[in-house]
Amino acid sequence: MSITTLSTINEQLLKSIGVGIAIVRFSDLHFYYHNKAFAEWFGDPASSDVVTEIVDRLREDARTALQDTGRFTTEVQVKPKRRTLVIALTANLAEFEGESVVVVECQNITRMRELEQMIESYSNMVERNTRELEREKERVEKLLLNLMPRSVYEEFKTFGVVTPQLYRNVSVLMLDFVGFTSFAENTDPTVTLGELNDMFTAFDRISEQFGCERIKTIGDAYLAVSGMPEPAPDHASAVANCAVRFIRYLERRNQSHQHKWQARIGLATGTAVGSVVGVQKYVYDVFGPAVNMAARLQVFAQPMKIVAPVDMKFDLIDAFRVTEIGSYDIKGLGQVELVNVEGNLTLAN
Amino acid sequence: MAHLGYDGMAGTTFEKYGGFGIVSKVVMTFYEMVLDSDIVGHHFDHVDMPRLIDHQTKFISSLMGGPASISDERLRAVHAHFDITDAEFDEIVSLLGMALEEHRMDADDIDALARAIDAKRSLIVKRAVA
Repeated sequence: MSITTLSTINEQLLKSIGVGIAIVRFSDLHFYYHNKAFAEWFGDPASSDVVTEIVDRLREDARTALQDTGRFTTEVQVKPKRRTLVIALTANLAEFEGESVVVVECQNITRMRELEQMIESYSNMVERNTRELEREKERVEKLLLNLMPRSVYEEFKTFGVVTPQLYRNVSVLMLDFVGFTSFAENTDPTVTLGELNDMFTAFDRISEQFGCERIKTIGDAYLAVSGMPEPAPDHASAVANCAVRFIRYLERRNQSHQHKWQARIGLATGTAVGSVVGVQKYVYDVFGPAVNMAARLQVFAQPMKIVAPVDMKFDLIDAFRVTEIGSYDIKGLGQVELVNVEGNLTLAN
Repeated sequence: MAHLGYDGMAGTTFEKYGGFGIVSKVVMTFYEMVLDSDIVGHHFDHVDMPRLIDHQTKFISSLMGGPASISDERLRAVHAHFDITDAEFDEIVSLLGMALEEHRMDADDIDALARAIDAKRSLIVKRAVA
């Protein structure tokens, strides 16, 4: 192959290659040569405003970089048609026949930038979606936490089922309103519901504050426990604290409300089983001797009184006024020694 | 099935054709077609690349049932000042059909998507009289 043929091939290659090439004199930035790709993107350097604008903009930075390192790189955007092109420029300083020239190489990286932009756009969407799902999950979690204690929920979430657990040392509080049925019969149901909602919400706050967990309400009855599912050494005083404050709350409320509510409260200590009942409609519920006893004693209690078995006496005696009221025959339980529990003078308001 | 709102990805064209993979291909093809079009291209003369890509990625994703949704209100608002004609709207639907076809989507699915877009015509096309 002759030298002439080789240089013809080189020339053809420079013309047809997908890379834009230009050769510029370093001293005055006169364009010696440019290929087809270069002209397609920027226009003919002799007449193109685009080239003039880019040269003017980059001149100082390029000159400094070329003098210091012999190399200058940057990215420029051009819009020969509607599509914005992103061109990566690399300029290298070279010596040719005793003169400094700059060889400019231009790569079209438009597609890469477009893809990057699309990925960014897409990942923003996915992230926003993920955040929405997260929020939705939190809403569901919050709802389920209203139906069962957190530790039970964690078990349910991990295993899909909840194993019934026997708790040996729990205390139970059962509250019921006096004369609720007749009130409900003679009152607009929305008013009844409003009254219950108001009082139960207050009870929930008190329960939470004193380490009790409300398990459920059944009509006008309110059932709370302490010592399950998390063990609590002071479960007896926890329920007593709630009971005393429930009564006090009602007394205060009665001073300013039209209907004067009176409640009976039964307390008990002992064993109970806790579990989620149901498959589709999950309800966390408790069963067992302590629950039965609290329910029976609540029925036995005088209005606005708290009744507990005598075995709770020593757990409560330091913080409450505990009065023995004797032995009574309680339905289903036989003879039980009972006490009344009241708040004592050291109780904080 | 056609989707113009996000309601979970299960059973959508988005899932059927491979999620983001197909979205990215369709967006790239559609983007070029739209810019090259003599009928609608001029609407994009002054829209910069990142914005247009963002817009189309959301459009194609939501259309196929991917993780995006564009409300009717938004559709109406973003197109309001373009004075879009029925002919231009048809051109976009036709270009999209071609882009989807190029990436081997079934004719039935393309028809379903075209119908879904057509249902939004009144939000996008500017009418001389209401």
